[in-house]
Amino acid sequence: MGSLKSVEPERIREKEHLVQDGMDISGHWNRMFEQRVIWEYTPELIEKVTDVEGAESFGWCYQCAQCVPVCPVNTVGDYAPRRIFRRVQTGMDLFTSPDLWQCTTCANCLRVCPKEVNMMNIMPAVRQEAVLEGNAPQELLDVFQNTFDYGNPLGESPKKRAAWTKKAGVDVPLMKDKKKADILWFVECYPSYHPRGIDASIAMARVLDALNIDYGILGAEEKCSCDSQRIAGEQGLFEEFAEHNIKLLKKYKVKNVVVTDPHALNALRHEYPKLGAKFKTIHYTTYLAPMMDKLDFKKELGYKVTFHDPCYLGRHNGEYEAPRDMLKAIPGVELIEMGRCRENSYCCGGGGGGMWLDGFMADHVTERLSERRVREAVETGADVLVVCCPYEVSRFEDAVKSTGNEGKLLVKDIIELVAEAMELV
Amino acid sequence: MAEKPILIIGGGPAGLEAARSIADLGYQAVLVEKRERLGGTPDEAHYAKLTPDLRDAPKAMQEMIDPVTNNPNVKIHFGSTVTSASGSAGNFDVTIKNSKGSTTENVGAVIVATGFQHFDPGRETQQYGYYEHDDVLTLVDLEKMLTEHKVVRPSNGQPPKSLCFIQCVGSRDRQIGNEYCSKVCCGIASKGAIEVRQLLPDCKVYIFYIDMRMYGYWENEIYWPAQEKYKVNYVKGIVTEVVKKGDGLMIKGEDTTLGRPMEIPMDIVVLSVGMEPSAGTREMAKVFGLQLNKYNFIETTGGPLDTVTTTVEGVYACGASTGPADLEDSVSSAGLAAMKAISLVRKAAQAA
Repeated sequence: MGSLKSVEPERIREKEHLVQDGMDISGHWNRMFEQRVIWEYTPELIEKVTDVEGAESFGWCYQCAQCVPVCPVNTVGDYAPRRIFRRVQTGMDLFTSPDLWQCTTCANCLRVCPKEVNMMNIMPAVRQEAVLEGNAPQELLDVFQNTFDYGNPLGESPKKRAAWTKKAGVDVPLMKDKKKADILWFVECYPSYHPRGIDASIAMARVLDALNIDYGILGAEEKCSCDSQRIAGEQGLFEEFAEHNIKLLKKYKVKNVVVTDPHALNALRHEYPKLGAKFKTIHYTTYLAPMMDKLDFKKELGYKVTFHDPCYLGRHNGEYEAPRDMLKAIPGVELIEMGRCRENSYCCGGGGGGMWLDGFMADHVTERLSERRVREAVETGADVLVVCCPYEVSRFEDAVKSTGNEGKLLVKDIIELVAEAMELV
Repeated sequence: MAEKPILIIGGGPAGLEAARSIADLGYQAVLVEKRERLGGTPDEAHYAKLTPDLRDAPKAMQEMIDPVTNNPNVKIHFGSTVTSASGSAGNFDVTIKNSKGSTTENVGAVIVATGFQHFDPGRETQQYGYYEHDDVLTLVDLEKMLTEHKVVRPSNGQPPKSLCFIQCVGSRDRQIGNEYCSKVCCGIASKGAIEVRQLLPDCKVYIFYIDMRMYGYWENEIYWPAQEKYKVNYVKGIVTEVVKKGDGLMIKGEDTTLGRPMEIPMDIVVLSVGMEPSAGTREMAKVFGLQLNKYNFIETTGGPLDTVTTTVEGVYACGASTGPADLEDSVSSAGLAAMKAISLVRKAAQAA
């Protein structure tokens, strides 16, 4: 801290009287930009939220503040459900506030909330209204548009959704050709298009091939599961795409779906049945963990690893063991847990639309959630930060670079480690 | 030898329950009530609805009164007070006085059920201005309005657009001398808040509190519905003073979860006044020589395991005469006092 320049308070120029956005913040250092005295409470703004179907529980908060220390955004900003409640009660309109877009719906607050204030229902419901009014960050609206136009948030060509399979080196059967399979692998967008997602998909294809699994993928027929778009406020888009995917799965008489993306897991398992879907969906870790003894491992990896529980696999869908069972079965892998793991795992920042709000979030937090998480991973002394959600590889790799930890920590999907130990990659 | 009757002083919820229990078990009760009516404070203070179940108070009290009146086992002295007593456990002579004169009753045991009185906000150490501002009320004043289904600002007769409750008025205060929690005010304020919201859906209702004390089922039966269904606003942070602002009032305090001062205009301010020992409670302590605790409620001797035995053998106390009590406490302790009193008069009769 010694190198920081200090400035005498007298040298800071400030306005004697300042009204900002209707708030009188006159006073020394402009009162740190906050009106000091509360002049009115605005229960009508709380009722504006609780009147929205799905957002009723927003009004249940009794300020115990248990959500505050577990809110990942509050660690790097000024957030958490109880704070949002108080801000709305003292004049903030949630429908037009930046507070509406910072929640990653990681579900850690709901885990500890005695009143069951459910941000996972509140946020999508209120965001949907805001989106309809056009009150959403532009970068998010762009992603909605991409998804609408191309069937994926990355804006990649829908025709090239299965292009990665050409690099797989093994046959990746398409349902269109195969018609019938024991397992439908719902690949989802990032594993189909993102370079690091593709790495994991190739590893997955080779492992499935080695196990002689009778499976197929939808390829270009598949569209984004849209779970994150739904939670970010695009219910309409979600339903349209869900109906498309459900129709396809019905056409192929699919009974069992394996997904690589926990967000897709969430959509297919919890939301699709509301629209008439009848198949069973599991995450690839849940699927492969019991088969680990059938794999032909060829080498010891010699890695110390730490594992990041994805919010949508762990808290949202209750799967904590399968990824760990897989890691324990890979030769030469030593697992060191981070302090925040399993039920209280720290969010990477990608959920609930956070994946597409990096620019917006930069204005509201001191560092990215992924950066905070990478620091925690580095502290364990692990060589590899292991993940099993396609949002995370790219987020954490960026964070490794931005926190100056390049060379100290690798980021890998579990399936990449499996394939590596089998010498398939 | 037949058992002597049991004297019950006070015809409120506790006294009525004690009388009913004694009569039901076939023993004799002599009930002394200073007013011309039974029902005690819920009746005298015009309670509209009972806490926590929001039952109609007059109806619920009538259901307690009916088994006691015209009951051959209960003799009632209306408009009467006990002025002196002599004797000892199993054999007390008490003088009962009314406007016409005095009578004496010989009884085996005594149950004091003389209750509480509401704290007088004129003694409040904060500046709430109960006697200065027309629109500053107490819970009792609000109960009366709710009974009449007409909640208006006394200053102009108009329905309020905003109304708040200030908790712990006269309770939990070393300066005032009432260090205890009055136990019921959080629930009664929340119940009142629900009733105001039912009556005036456009009125914003607030409760300013130090900590909400909604123990047991009151939490889920009153507090949660008040907030979740009736949208009552609970704000942690007590109000320090009430000042006049324009035609209305302004409350000043700190919103402690935000750590910011608040200066909020308010149409009606309701002071959640706590409990103090009633004049009757203090008077009966003198008549029977009962020890009082430091707050002038009747001292009981058994700690948490015996809530009705006083320092004088044969004299029991129940309800709010021994300290702040809700209705559940009052009728429960009344039943216990009845049981102990019966036990005593039976033993006395057997010994004679």
